[in-house]
Amino acid sequence: MVVSAWAVLAATAWPWKAALFPLAIGIPVFLLAAAEFCVAATGRRASAEALAVDFVASQHVDRSLALRRTVATFTWLIAFAGLIVAFGFSLAIPIFVLLYLRTAGGEGWLRSLVLSLVAWACVHGLFVRLLALPFPEGWVQAGLRALP
Amino acid sequence: MRQAGRRWTLATLAIPAVVVLAVVPAARAAQPYDGKTITIIVGYKPGGGYDRTARLLARHLPKHIPGKPTIIVQNMPGANSIVAANHVYNLARPDGLTIGTFNRNLPLAQLTRVEGVRFDITKFAWIGSAASESTILTLHSDLPYKTLDDLRKAEKPIVIGTTGPGANTHDFPLLLKELLGFNFKIVSGYSSSADIMLAVERKEVDGRAGSYTSLRPFIDRGLVRPVVRARATEPGIEKLPVDEDLATAPRAKAIMALRSGPEIVGRPYVMPPGTPDALVKIVREAFVRVARDPELVDEATRAKMEIEYVSDVEALKIIREVLGQPRDVVDEFSKYIKFGD
Amino acid sequence: MLDALFEGLLLILHWKAFAFMLLGVGLGFWVGLLPGLGGGTTLALMLPFTYTMSPAEAFAFLLGMHSVVATTGDITSVLFGVPGEGTTAATVLDGYAMAKKGEAGRALGAALMSSLVGAVVGALALALAIPVVRPLVLTFGSPELFMLAMVGIAFIVSLSGEGRGGLRRGFLAGGLGLLCAMVGQDPQAGILRYSLGLLYLWDGLDIVPVLVGIFAIPEIIDLAVRGTAIAGDVSYGRLGKGVTEGIKDTFRHFGLTIRCSLIGTFIGIMPGLGGGVAQWLAYGHATQSARDADERKGFGQGDVRGVLGPGAANNSKEGGALIPTVAFGVPGSSSMAILLGGFFLLGLVPGPDMLTKHLPLTLSMVWTIVLANIITVGASLVFINQLAKLTTIRAHLLIPFIVLLVFIGSYTANNSYGDLVAMLVFGALGYAMVAAGWPRAPFILGLVLGKLAENYLYISTTRYGAAWLGRPVVVVLFLLAVLVIAYPFVQARRSRRRAGARCAS
Repeated sequence: MVVSAWAVLAATAWPWKAALFPLAIGIPVFLLAAAEFCVAATGRRASAEALAVDFVASQHVDRSLALRRTVATFTWLIAFAGLIVAFGFSLAIPIFVLLYLRTAGGEGWLRSLVLSLVAWACVHGLFVRLLALPFPEGWVQAGLRALP
Repeated sequence: MRQAGRRWTLATLAIPAVVVLAVVPAARAAQPYDGKTITIIVGYKPGGGYDRTARLLARHLPKHIPGKPTIIVQNMPGANSIVAANHVYNLARPDGLTIGTFNRNLPLAQLTRVEGVRFDITKFAWIGSAASESTILTLHSDLPYKTLDDLRKAEKPIVIGTTGPGANTHDFPLLLKELLGFNFKIVSGYSSSADIMLAVERKEVDGRAGSYTSLRPFIDRGLVRPVVRARATEPGIEKLPVDEDLATAPRAKAIMALRSGPEIVGRPYVMPPGTPDALVKIVREAFVRVARDPELVDEATRAKMEIEYVSDVEALKIIREVLGQPRDVVDEFSKYIKFGD
Repeated sequence: MLDALFEGLLLILHWKAFAFMLLGVGLGFWVGLLPGLGGGTTLALMLPFTYTMSPAEAFAFLLGMHSVVATTGDITSVLFGVPGEGTTAATVLDGYAMAKKGEAGRALGAALMSSLVGAVVGALALALAIPVVRPLVLTFGSPELFMLAMVGIAFIVSLSGEGRGGLRRGFLAGGLGLLCAMVGQDPQAGILRYSLGLLYLWDGLDIVPVLVGIFAIPEIIDLAVRGTAIAGDVSYGRLGKGVTEGIKDTFRHFGLTIRCSLIGTFIGIMPGLGGGVAQWLAYGHATQSARDADERKGFGQGDVRGVLGPGAANNSKEGGALIPTVAFGVPGSSSMAILLGGFFLLGLVPGPDMLTKHLPLTLSMVWTIVLANIITVGASLVFINQLAKLTTIRAHLLIPFIVLLVFIGSYTANNSYGDLVAMLVFGALGYAMVAAGWPRAPFILGLVLGKLAENYLYISTTRYGAAWLGRPVVVVLFLLAVLVIAYPFVQARRSRRRAGARCAS
């Protein structure tokens, strides 16, 4: 599945090349992309033992469980991003930590709350107070401010 | 009994305290910037020229603003500061607490209708410019070309290194080549102007164009020699021939003027459109005064930066000139100059 | 020269300068540790504070801070799989894998010790190279730099898996990386390439969120999937002893450590190559030290040499990068550009003067790098056991904090939400690559080297026509690239022959 996703990417890279000035670079890379396309079609037959010089995702966990957890984690990440946009970093962080520890982590209320506050304090203290790094406020706050 | 006594002491202390707390802020509130924090948004990463200028100003401006607010610098790099300009124009609140500084060539971006521009540069609340940039072209001192005529008659192409379109390192010599017919070979793609200087030392390229400020140390060292300059001038290079003067065709002159116009507004500083005039005036005043501040001048000279206030009136005038160019001039301009870094 | 060396040491040992150095070290310790606090940005923030210091004190402070960032950045890479700094990403590959095997202590020990060795080598280079620096830098022109980039890309071969399938995927990944490197405005014609109409992509992909995403996110997901602590079910006892093991490893593979330090120093000296390159070339070289293809498969699964290489290189390159900065006024990396500002602020002019009139000051910088790293490594070793314990904490407790670090790290690089999106996108890509068995290192190599290769190729051809192909250094580098490509195959053949001989006997 992943491999065919690559093929699509490579294919879309195709038409752009024509419009680009630096063809000298575009052409070899295009050839590579074409190779990608062809290879991807045959690649499905290649077995997984051609291991990459990289880590292998844990295999000892039951597949359906692994899949569920993977999807869940991705959702969490995207949710965090959404929280940040909605509430701004400062608020999103403790909210996220709290929610995660409670639901996915299954921790008790007290511990979750404490850790959330710790997280917020560290981030706020270090990044906001000390370094004055800008963290824009989220839409919710901007929206609230817009109200009279 | 003791309780009542304590209550009385509390009251005797509380009432004047309340009165003082009520009155004092009212009196201090006359200073709009009292206890406030102003943010300067810089359209580039830390370390670059715009950023260093902003940080220098941030350190010295508070003294000149009644209320002595804190000033912090926030970097918002992206798309050659179009992102920062968009932000200051559309998202920043016009409460006097935001100042923006960005690429001096943004008027050109607006003029050539670069996609992504979401501002009208004339509608910002202009403070002015903190410096003007003078661009010069320099050649390796070992080269035999002494006068401009030598250059024009050169048989071998003279190699000029540049970073890429949009930078004055690239555009200035490009126009000299295309409009005045100099025999240049433009080699672009160097990662930074410092790399080009190395290339000059290596004799890989023969020269480099750029701001006088950045080339000064190399001129002083004797590595390169300035040859021609653009409209804006600084002490030390006034005697150099000006590119516009060398152009005979009015179209050529107009195009060169178009390129170098924004350089006079070398470090533009603005506030979001709609900022109350009173506040902008305070900040403008501060800029005027800080440019003469001996401490700032001392630090700036040490850091090899020049701070010189160009008024908002003058800045806007130049920008309106740039934006008011006729369409055919703009079209031809776009053939050579692309908005970039 | 010797008395200047001594004088330089005295400059540092003066109590004020020393105090500032300690301050810088303390600061740098945290900057490196926390993703999101970039060494460059912090340097820029600290610069104004040096206004009132004397040059020796100022550099003690700035360099004290800067030279330890790469050391502590390795710590986060090993413990959490999140690159603490852009320059410590390569340590994640094997360092974190070791942590997963319960060898966090060993990995940390190796990373720290190799960082120290690297820093010392880099500092030594700074001291010794002084007479040679100018001719050396001047010989390396754009054609040579292009070839160097080619050598780097050649390493893709050894970073791929074995067999035709592995090689194919390695090149695919590398090609993809090269493609991604072309996003942004093209420096030849100013055309926007692959920018998908987004302002965010104008300047190309920023390396930090991509790195953080592609390495950290798959690890986070894997951690969540496993549900155990990072170190699996390994008991603590093994972790503690590991540190001395790791330190010994550095010396066991001393040749490799030194070679990678030299690679890092060399890359640092060459201005225009950028800071991210050194660690990957060192990693590539480290993988080559594997004796056969089977051993090479071990890289990425937790081979200590994969930690030693980048650990040494990312420190030595700092010393190397100081050389062109001090001797030419040309910064060897972006943080050096900021340091340059410091020079001017203090009234110093980088150039030949620094090597003659101000030699003791320059040498005090050398001492700063050495001392700062010794102190940091010493202090870290004290805390290491506590740090390694972190890998035994349950995943679910740790994950939100790691996610926090990752998000903040990506955002604060440029204060841009776009970076967060990029991080997530490349995180997904990284995960897909791992799941499909595609190596990620070649992708990063392609991404980092792509722009350099393209630009230098253009400059070389425009300037020299075809003549540049004949330049001596270019030819040497070309042969080197061929060697790098051929090496794994030669190795494979040799081991097959050996195995054949064994079978026969």
